[in-house]
Amino acid sequence: MGGFIMAKETFKILICDDSILVRKKLKEALSLCSTFEFLEAGDGQTAVDIYKKEKPDLVFMDLVIPVKDGITAVKEIKEFDDDALVVIASSSGTQENLKKAIKAGAVEFIQKPWEQEQLENVVKKFLKKGE
Amino acid sequence: MFTQYFGNYLLNKGYLTPKQLHEGLEQIKDTRLKLGVLAVNAGYMTAEETEKVNEAQKKHDKRFGELAIEMGYLNEEQLEELLSSQKLGHLLLSQVLVDKGIMTLQEFEKAINEYKRDYSISDEEFEAIQKDDINEIVNKFTKFEGSKNETILKDYIALFAKNLIRFIDREAVITEVTKLEDYECQFAALQDIKGEISLATYIETDEDSFIKFASKYAEEDLTSLNEMAEASVGEFLNLHNGIFLVNISNQGIELKMTPQEVYRTIKVDNIYKVSFDLSFGKINILIKEG
Repeated sequence: MGGFIMAKETFKILICDDSILVRKKLKEALSLCSTFEFLEAGDGQTAVDIYKKEKPDLVFMDLVIPVKDGITAVKEIKEFDDDALVVIASSSGTQENLKKAIKAGAVEFIQKPWEQEQLENVVKKFLKKGE
Repeated sequence: MFTQYFGNYLLNKGYLTPKQLHEGLEQIKDTRLKLGVLAVNAGYMTAEETEKVNEAQKKHDKRFGELAIEMGYLNEEQLEELLSSQKLGHLLLSQVLVDKGIMTLQEFEKAINEYKRDYSISDEEFEAIQKDDINEIVNKFTKFEGSKNETILKDYIALFAKNLIRFIDREAVITEVTKLEDYECQFAALQDIKGEISLATYIETDEDSFIKFASKYAEEDLTSLNEMAEASVGEFLNLHNGIFLVNISNQGIELKMTPQEVYRTIKVDNIYKVSFDLSFGKINILIKEG
């Protein structure tokens, strides 16, 4: 695949997690699926701001994050862009959090620690190349 | 885990010297068999299937055998057979000690009986403990005096021990639980759990152990207490507390947690300090009830 086509087919992914380790590991794991342009946020407010400015193709959002929690951030992103694709990646997959995430408009909930297969499935499902 | 407990008991009772215990524990390391290895050896599972169960174990608070059945790799009968053929760690230790002439078989028998009596362990409980049933070990060897949530704290610590073994160090052993009015933390990751049950939780240790702990969880060779090391220990606590919240949620109690933070030299009061020995140092988990 040539560089020109790759550039046209490169998706933008925003990763919001307060842990620099999680952001790094998630970038590494997603990079095994394809080539992406990554954007990073360490808190919910920064994620909303970056989303509005950059309109990424997919968002990975933690729930327990500083400044603005993940659910509130998802709601604000969805208010701004109803087509936004937000995947929750959290260690706290309680029934309550699952319900809140779905209600807020998240399209998927991945409980940490994630498996590579789960990430591959998300990429396949939401980021179809050439479409 | 029980092997270390029993080894320490033998040490404290004067059956062994520290050097003899260390050598004995070192010698059994290579001979301990995992259920997955036994399953592959028996032709019941492929190596790939055991890997899948190991991965699933990182997310579900369940034993290897239980998950292997759920995932359709083993049936009950096969599991029973494998469990009965699995070598028991403390027996391996005893065998090593008897073989080396450090103890006689009669002394071993006497020590086992004393052990059961000293800790008021029934035969049924001993059966569970010697199979490294962590819930039973924590239930029998830890006490949270004065706590109104003792059962929940025991569940919390049992889960923490399991997560330590899964992600950090399979030789992790709980050494003591103490209640302290004042304590000065050296390096600590902190996360609050809030709701019907409120707990402030800390992973606390010295600088060297903090960096080694962080390296293990991050699966990277970290050499200083930098942002990545802080993030690593903090994320382990976050992961553990997240799984704890899921377990509690399944009992119908919804709790929340705050973002994790890392501190240096902070003072805390009225805490339970649960200490763990790891292969590379010691760590404490501190719990303050709200």
